[in-house]
Amino acid sequence: MVAFTKNSKMAEVILRDYQLLPIISRFGIKLGFGNKSIEEICTDRNVDLPFFLEILNSYHSIDYFPENHLCDFKADVMVSYLTNTHSYYLNSKVPHIELFIDRMDQTAQFENSRNVALLKQFFNEYKIDIEHHFSEEEKNVFPYVLALEKALKSNNCSPQLIEKIKREPIEIYERNHESLEVKLADMKNLIIRFLPPLHCEDDCEHLLTELFQLECDIEDHTRMEEKVLIPKVKMLERKVLEYYGV
Amino acid sequence: MEFEDKKIQTVIASDQYLVRLGVKTLLNVIGIESDLYEADSFVELERLVNDVPDLNYLILSEDLLPKQKQDCLKGIKGSCSFCKAIIIGQQKIPNCVFEHFILHSYNRKQVVEKLQLFFQESDSTFGNHDSGTLSDREIDVLKAVALGYSNKEIADQLFISINTVITHRKNITQKLGIKTISGLTVYALMNHIIKAEEVR
Repeated sequence: MVAFTKNSKMAEVILRDYQLLPIISRFGIKLGFGNKSIEEICTDRNVDLPFFLEILNSYHSIDYFPENHLCDFKADVMVSYLTNTHSYYLNSKVPHIELFIDRMDQTAQFENSRNVALLKQFFNEYKIDIEHHFSEEEKNVFPYVLALEKALKSNNCSPQLIEKIKREPIEIYERNHESLEVKLADMKNLIIRFLPPLHCEDDCEHLLTELFQLECDIEDHTRMEEKVLIPKVKMLERKVLEYYGV
Repeated sequence: MEFEDKKIQTVIASDQYLVRLGVKTLLNVIGIESDLYEADSFVELERLVNDVPDLNYLILSEDLLPKQKQDCLKGIKGSCSFCKAIIIGQQKIPNCVFEHFILHSYNRKQVVEKLQLFFQESDSTFGNHDSGTLSDREIDVLKAVALGYSNKEIADQLFISINTVITHRKNITQKLGIKTISGLTVYALMNHIIKAEEVR
């Protein structure tokens, strides 16, 4: 598949793959592109072009592998994007899903209200899981990434950082990076296969659609952490060690 | 149906290379599209039966089995309850857990017919496996999983090996489409397999 370039028209990108819509809005890019290219839009909105391209392409195509472009963008842009994405899930997606579950809860009768309560509890646990996962990344991984970049730029690297690269490189995070989608898939299955029919088909349909979308989105997010963030950090780790001759 | 487009998985087990090659050729002739695994020893067969997920068919030559044929066959049946097996041998084994045989005395036509029947018949019985009904034993395992017991604890409680527990869990997940323990717990609660007070 041909990757998008800075000269691709923004409108054509979205027409080709509407799933990229939530991505561009995370960058604060609004519709009404006219005939502007990606580059022009980025300049207008003050968005980091190389990074934006990486994100568009890795979300658009599963096989996209950005090896050659890892040096093109700064780590802090990526960290702020990932943090934004986390809050998008927690503040926009999760409440949406909760809303539909609540509505189902209100219309469910007798026996089924117990089942909906179980689903509600299940999703609550899931919410706690992802909150924990995200806050771990924001507390431990992202500051480390920023420190690496700073060490290269400022000619000043603390012995603790060197020690961390050796003892606790990003590879450890990579190995323990757990999947956040499995529980969502279970939730879908429970609803589709085992929840006795409810009298609020619309809400149920919306809930499922939200679950499918969130699952896809989180899958892409994970892929992006694994294909863009981790390789970038590995490169920074290597550079820091080389630079300081360790 | 959910698993319909999934490729079937077949193990061919014989200690003779020529037998395995012959079986492969015949499968080709009757147009069976399957992932093939070969075992040239009983140990290898046991490993495959435990390792290949969703194994559908086993074509097993008698010469591979150690002395206690019946017990070995029961063991295999136990580790892959979904799997259909056909035995190649001198004569039919009486009271065997598997009902399909290809005898050494068969000619080409008979062998081909037997194989065709074997694969066709199994096709229709797959419907039952996919229907999602759990066996009694699987319900026992599900109950224990949902209550938070480990594989080791479940094996001890039900007097089965850890491997058997794992196989049951694999089958449960396949039938229900639910992977996580908390998902299985919700299923068990919904279906009154366990009570909310019991969950630890």
